[in-house]
Amino acid sequence: MNGTVLSLTFRGMLGRRRSLLLFALPIVMIALAVVIRLIVGVDEDTAVPMLQRFALGILLPLVALIAGTGVIAPEIDDGEIIYLLAKPVSRWSIVASKLVTAIVLTVAFTTVPTLIAGVVLTGGAADPVPGFAAGTIVGAVAYCAVFVLLGVISRHAVVFGLLYALVWETLVGGYVPGARAVSVQDWAYSLTYSMSTDLGTKPEVGAAVALPLLAAVTVVALCVAVQRLRSLSLTGDS
Amino acid sequence: MTATTIHDIGYRHYGGPRLGRGYAIRSLYSNSLRGVFGLGRPGRAKVLPFALFALMCIPALVSVAVRLVMAKLVPTAPPINLFPYRAYIFDLQAISAIFLAAQSPQMVSRDLRFHVMPLYLSRPIRRFDYILAKLAAMFSALLIVFAAPLTLLYLGALLNKMNAWDQLTQYGPALGGAVVYALVLAAFGLCVASLTPRRGFGVAAIIALYLVSYGAVSILQGILVANTYDSAAGYVGLLSPYTLVEGFQTWALRQEHTGIGYVEPGAGGAVFVVVVVAVLAAALGILVARYRKVAS
Amino acid sequence: MSTIKIEQASRWYGNVVAVNDVTMTIGPGVTGLLGPNGAGKSTLIHMMGGFLAPSAGAVTLDGEPIWRNQGVYRKIGLVPEREAAYDFLTGRQFALANAKLHKLPNPREAAERALRLVEMTEAADRAIGTYSKGMRQRMKMASALVHDPAVLLLDEPFNGMDPRQRMQLIELINGMGAAGRTVLFSSHILEEVEQVAAHIEVVVAGRHAASGDFREIRRLMTDRPHRFVIRSDDDRRLASALIAHDSVGAVELAAHGGGAALHVQAADFGAFVAAAPQIARKNGIRLWEVLPADESLESVFAYLVTS
Repeated sequence: MNGTVLSLTFRGMLGRRRSLLLFALPIVMIALAVVIRLIVGVDEDTAVPMLQRFALGILLPLVALIAGTGVIAPEIDDGEIIYLLAKPVSRWSIVASKLVTAIVLTVAFTTVPTLIAGVVLTGGAADPVPGFAAGTIVGAVAYCAVFVLLGVISRHAVVFGLLYALVWETLVGGYVPGARAVSVQDWAYSLTYSMSTDLGTKPEVGAAVALPLLAAVTVVALCVAVQRLRSLSLTGDS
Repeated sequence: MTATTIHDIGYRHYGGPRLGRGYAIRSLYSNSLRGVFGLGRPGRAKVLPFALFALMCIPALVSVAVRLVMAKLVPTAPPINLFPYRAYIFDLQAISAIFLAAQSPQMVSRDLRFHVMPLYLSRPIRRFDYILAKLAAMFSALLIVFAAPLTLLYLGALLNKMNAWDQLTQYGPALGGAVVYALVLAAFGLCVASLTPRRGFGVAAIIALYLVSYGAVSILQGILVANTYDSAAGYVGLLSPYTLVEGFQTWALRQEHTGIGYVEPGAGGAVFVVVVVAVLAAALGILVARYRKVAS
Repeated sequence: MSTIKIEQASRWYGNVVAVNDVTMTIGPGVTGLLGPNGAGKSTLIHMMGGFLAPSAGAVTLDGEPIWRNQGVYRKIGLVPEREAAYDFLTGRQFALANAKLHKLPNPREAAERALRLVEMTEAADRAIGTYSKGMRQRMKMASALVHDPAVLLLDEPFNGMDPRQRMQLIELINGMGAAGRTVLFSSHILEEVEQVAAHIEVVVAGRHAASGDFREIRRLMTDRPHRFVIRSDDDRRLASALIAHDSVGAVELAAHGGGAALHVQAADFGAFVAAAPQIARKNGIRLWEVLPADESLESVFAYLVTS
């Protein structure tokens, strides 16, 4: 990991319109939690589906997509990445630093709001809340790794990431349980399920399988991203 | 020293009639419309829009086919409509949302990114013409995407020898709804996309705003209905593009209501119309303000 | 001593061959890489910079391959053509970041030195996003010089520079070349290359067309007659005397820059140069001016490109 790359990437992410969007999305979730609390008071039966659907199913993949692609795709697109690559810095540290930046941002804009929304909805930091927070953390790691990889290999990283998160995980996964078993969202939820008591919907895959899968996806995505970055060709204009 | 001249080697000044502003606007419109579907661009650009278009049409085809088969196998059974006209666009909103998110930035972000706006504006086209042409193009593209499956359903119904008038009373208003969908979505998509020159970020922003607003609205509506606040649930639909148009369709086009929540038939429901108009006006205002800063 | 060797390198994209079997050696001193647009100069520089792999052949620096070898960047400084840089950083921060990425023992000092070298110290505290094109170019130079590299690769460095900045850059490049560094820059602006590079490499349509000192190259082009412009006190008589000599191919009496002059095409450079004064003396004609009309880099280039 390289401190300079970390600092450059952080500053790049937080200075622009991107940060505006990153702030706005969790605020909607927290506002929703407040409104729900005003309507129904403390009710775990509403809190759980809301957190599962919104925090894990919508906020997490979106923030990870914006952060994961945003830490590397614009630099490659503009050609700025040449200033990082034309240095005796190992490609591992470059990718790792960018991934860490993406994960930290995702956790900040997903886990923290999830905790807040959970506290608001359940009146305390008890049972399902830590589970959901933990789910967002492991989901953030895996999602960011996949999206950083997409950012390195494709110029249309965001569209592909979207097709994965929206079409595969939500649409197809909504109808075909088998597809749900191969989705980061389900694996993250299985950690939540295992940490909480009686959440209702079961995940497709148990935590004992899901966690190693998440780790494997992360490691594989990292490796492939490093390999591709080593052979990155910059061909002048556009 | 001889005077400066240009020798006649084929360069000619064109002093004749020019085709004018209207032609320029129409050309920009048709070029943008073709660009949405990837026509006139390399093959890869056609894959996504056509794939999504096909996905939109497939349920209609399936519905027609199933009815044909059922009519043959069980002639006495009443005709079933797997994917009715009324809820078609709403039920398949994910597909058109991706279409909008992927293609809106492609239409406006590139002009901003590569700073070609001065080139456009130094021609007879005005800023407002540019905006209108782009909006019209996105509107037309979305209308095609929405109207095609509805039309397939209608033609399929005629093929199945169903009552033409009966079908028309459903097909017509559904088409009207498609028009409003296309208007609202085009305005929303182009507005967001024009705020950033980066195409990838534009895609993310559009889909994020859509998904978060729809997620929040549907969760909230579910909770409200479970607690018998039905009409409040209906009004919450104002906060997300697809539910907004649904409310409009229910109230203005006298359709029966789909989804949850309840839109009041009286003056209360008219607020949907007001909001639709307000959204369109606001989007136009934002676009005008945005493009005023560009290339000035 | 750092030498880049390109050995029979080719690069193709599908059916399009960008670089076609090029062999060259870039040694210490200043070398100009010359060629029309689309000739493959950028492709070659990207290959030398490790950002493009040759489809065939090898590109090495002192024997080690440059592709997929991040350690080699200790020795190479790269000034890319595209203008992108981190707009939100100030010049000083950018130079410092580059110095830190090079893992220099004293990054702050190195950054200041680089800024001084490119004369950007006053503007160094403004964001790069506010810089003019020339200033951005200088920032790119600073980022390439911060680690005092032995090899400097510049891709179209004079693009967008005003005359004063150009002179500064020429001075800088000459200084580095004199200090024994290997400096390669690409350009299609011939006057600059003439002023700076002792040694040129000409690339045309992906092929290596010529290499060396451009005057020598001209002399080697024996299939093209050499042109001269001669002013004398009796052009017509000199013309008829010259055309009688073997080495002269054609004579023409025409205007040349305000006044009559004699244009001579000589097939044999050496023989003509020896014979012309003698012919003039024999005929009692006084020569006022004898100029080679096509020894400029421009004409050499034109010949190479159209051949």
